[in-house]
Amino acid sequence: MNRPRWLVPALLTVAAALLAPLPFIVNDYYLSLGISLLNYSILATAWALFSGPTRYISLATVAFFGIGAYTVAVLYETLPLALLLVAVILVAALLAAVVGLSTLRLSGVYFVIFTFGLAELIRQLVTWFEVNVSRSLGRYIFVEYGSSVIYWQLLGLALLVFVGGWFLKRSRFGLALRMIGDDEPVARHAGVETTRVKLLTFILAAVVMALCGAVMAPRWVYLDPVIAFNPTLSFEVVIMALLGGANSLFGPLLGAVPLVLLFEAITANFPNTFSILLGVVFIAIVYFLPKGVLGLVAGLRLRRGSVSTSGFDADSAVALSGAVADSGQGAAASAPTAAVSAPSGEPGEPLLEVRGLRRTFGGLVAVRSLDLGLHEGEIVGLIGPNGSGKTTALNVISGALAPSEGTILLRGRSIGGKAPERIADAGVARTFQLVRVFGSLNCRENVEAGLAFRPQPLQGAQAHDESERLLAQVGLAGKGEWPAAQLTYIDQKRLELARSLAQDPSVLLLDEWLAGLNPSELVVGIELLQSLRGQGIAILLVEHVMDAIRALCSRCVVMSAGQVIASGPTDEVLSDEEVVKAYLGAEDA
Amino acid sequence: MIAADIAITGLIVGGVYSLIAIGLTLQYGVARILNLAYGETFVASAFGAYWLYDSLSMSPLVGLVVILPAAFIVNWLIYSFLLTPLVRRAANRDALEVDSILFTFGLLFVVQGVLLVIFGGQYYSYSYLAVPLDFLGSVVPVNRLIAFGVAVALGLVLYLLLVRSRIGTAVRAVAVDPRSASLVAINVRSVSALAFAVGGTLCAAGGALISMFYTFNASMGVAFTMKALIVVIMGGVGNVLGALVAGLLLGVAETSVSRLIDPGLTLAATFLLFILVLLVRPTGLFGRSS
Repeated sequence: MNRPRWLVPALLTVAAALLAPLPFIVNDYYLSLGISLLNYSILATAWALFSGPTRYISLATVAFFGIGAYTVAVLYETLPLALLLVAVILVAALLAAVVGLSTLRLSGVYFVIFTFGLAELIRQLVTWFEVNVSRSLGRYIFVEYGSSVIYWQLLGLALLVFVGGWFLKRSRFGLALRMIGDDEPVARHAGVETTRVKLLTFILAAVVMALCGAVMAPRWVYLDPVIAFNPTLSFEVVIMALLGGANSLFGPLLGAVPLVLLFEAITANFPNTFSILLGVVFIAIVYFLPKGVLGLVAGLRLRRGSVSTSGFDADSAVALSGAVADSGQGAAASAPTAAVSAPSGEPGEPLLEVRGLRRTFGGLVAVRSLDLGLHEGEIVGLIGPNGSGKTTALNVISGALAPSEGTILLRGRSIGGKAPERIADAGVARTFQLVRVFGSLNCRENVEAGLAFRPQPLQGAQAHDESERLLAQVGLAGKGEWPAAQLTYIDQKRLELARSLAQDPSVLLLDEWLAGLNPSELVVGIELLQSLRGQGIAILLVEHVMDAIRALCSRCVVMSAGQVIASGPTDEVLSDEEVVKAYLGAEDA
Repeated sequence: MIAADIAITGLIVGGVYSLIAIGLTLQYGVARILNLAYGETFVASAFGAYWLYDSLSMSPLVGLVVILPAAFIVNWLIYSFLLTPLVRRAANRDALEVDSILFTFGLLFVVQGVLLVIFGGQYYSYSYLAVPLDFLGSVVPVNRLIAFGVAVALGLVLYLLLVRSRIGTAVRAVAVDPRSASLVAINVRSVSALAFAVGGTLCAAGGALISMFYTFNASMGVAFTMKALIVVIMGGVGNVLGALVAGLLLGVAETSVSRLIDPGLTLAATFLLFILVLLVRPTGLFGRSS
């Protein structure tokens, strides 16, 4: 855990240095095997860089690889090396940007199919260009250097990719990628511009693939579009990365090495039936190693972890209670039933104001008309029977859904219809009715995810300390290193609140955050929310627990069937005849 | 005149595209298998028709009587024995999609490799009923007209079966929601196997028909898989009528580009069309917006 940052990069550099003298030691056959190993390792790692976290299965590897090779074939006589590299990078980045912008909004399988055809499309366009513009199909590449230089270039590129990848994973950008991999909508609500992150990653991976193709181009001597854009390469890279495990930096390497050797053995021994055997290998891998080698390892680690963690949970309620007492603000309400007339915000300008909000799904009107105002340091309850439109209202306010009509103002500025990450930046944080944490991150990283993407981001040691403080505040002290997926449901709710608080919100939207707590946990939970109000945070509380509503909310807005049926001070609203009817039905009222 | 020419040629090619797209929409929309080896069925069937004609002098139309049942059985066996384990272990649709993409890609290579070993890499063609016929003012070979007619007939029969028959209703129910379908006593697995097999059969029919007037080789299956996929998505996944119309549309679009601009840019045009459809109507031309 506490290995210094430079240890892995240093080891990688040493490994590269040890591999560098290979051309002086082995014969041509083994040198070309080495080149093949490096080539596929780089491609599979680049593929996993994008496809691992985003789960988009891209079959476009050869499109970028081929375009890199072809750029070299066309320009190598006219441009010096440095400019040639710049040209390769620019061409690949441009292509990836165009492809990414038009296809990253597509859902999974459309993206697969599009990338599947992309290599074929580019091949046709290049062929057309060569036939009609350059008037020559096929090009010769004569360079003065031999295989050894290509090997060293690839080794350098591989070192760059692994060291770069290692630092990238530990950066804010890498954190954003992991958040996207776990739960993209939540990442947006935590302030991550997910489209930009995905696009940049796609471009980065494409550039690496193109550079690989550029380095490999002289190996062929003769290059035509059919050679450069052979779709088999894309699939080989996918199966290598998946075999090794696409979610770790070195996983693809573990998949590439054995498969390159296997393919090499098949080519050497069964040249006529290569394609049949390649197919059989694919099928066998799908059957027997569905999660990849590293997937198996990760599974084992998780299982061992969960054994050692059982038996800790009993203390959490106590811990939460202690934490609130420490903060010194929970003393006011000792019992949840005690009505609180807290210093609700001044009746002046509301912090959050919703006017005439309407949201429809086709013919279904989920929210007919909603008006509410929320002042600084105020907790307003948004209540009503199931299906009355409360969660839809929260989704619209937080940007998960666009409003059909109406205005939403935060400090007088309209936020209605903006992207979730913009609304998060403006100071609105939320939790979810069905708890959503970043399952593959540990607790501290979950909170740091909130810290890293707010307008004044915290990173490094500061983020570490602040996340520990927030974890303690919600009652998760000492659980910072626990994988979030292993927490109990209640602890995950606490973690979600800590992540929301890490965003330093002025408005907090809580969707049934107190549901499912046992009586003693409820007391502590209510105290915690009161302490947040003491900090000046305005809370919109969607809740069914009446004790909590009475204890916390100065005012309530009651919805039924998408309509506001009552609004005002909590006590008045809860005794309103309409409200009772909506909850209990007409006969019982 | 050229417009009429393009329309007729395009519609005739489009008829075959429609047929294979309807088959793929059954495999992907109902059985939930994204079959990248789909075009290999097409090519294998073209070789089958060629072999029957060349060595047994059997007319390709009679050959369908042999090829279609064979394709049905082979596809049924593939689904029941090779794909069912993947379906059973899949945690969700995404997992099945990744598995089926990689599995059928392996299958693609096996089939292609076998065809290469038997027939080699060269192009094949044979001449059957290549008699020119004056059709609505354009000259069209009879074999193309027959291919179009058979394709449309098969498509319509399938459509009527889906809409009018009990088993067709079950197939459509599984296409909408496999889990709900199993709640009303539909055997989802056997319906899926049936849909997969029928899909493969339609694809084989397309291959046998097109072999009458098209040169083909062992490694061109991927291009037909691509075209079928694009037509399926344009028509809306699981939508048979959508696949029919989108297939005809693609035929006309391709023929237009090839005649008016450059034959080398047909695929580029196809892709452009595909992207435009996805960006403007992501659920397909005839899909309901969700």
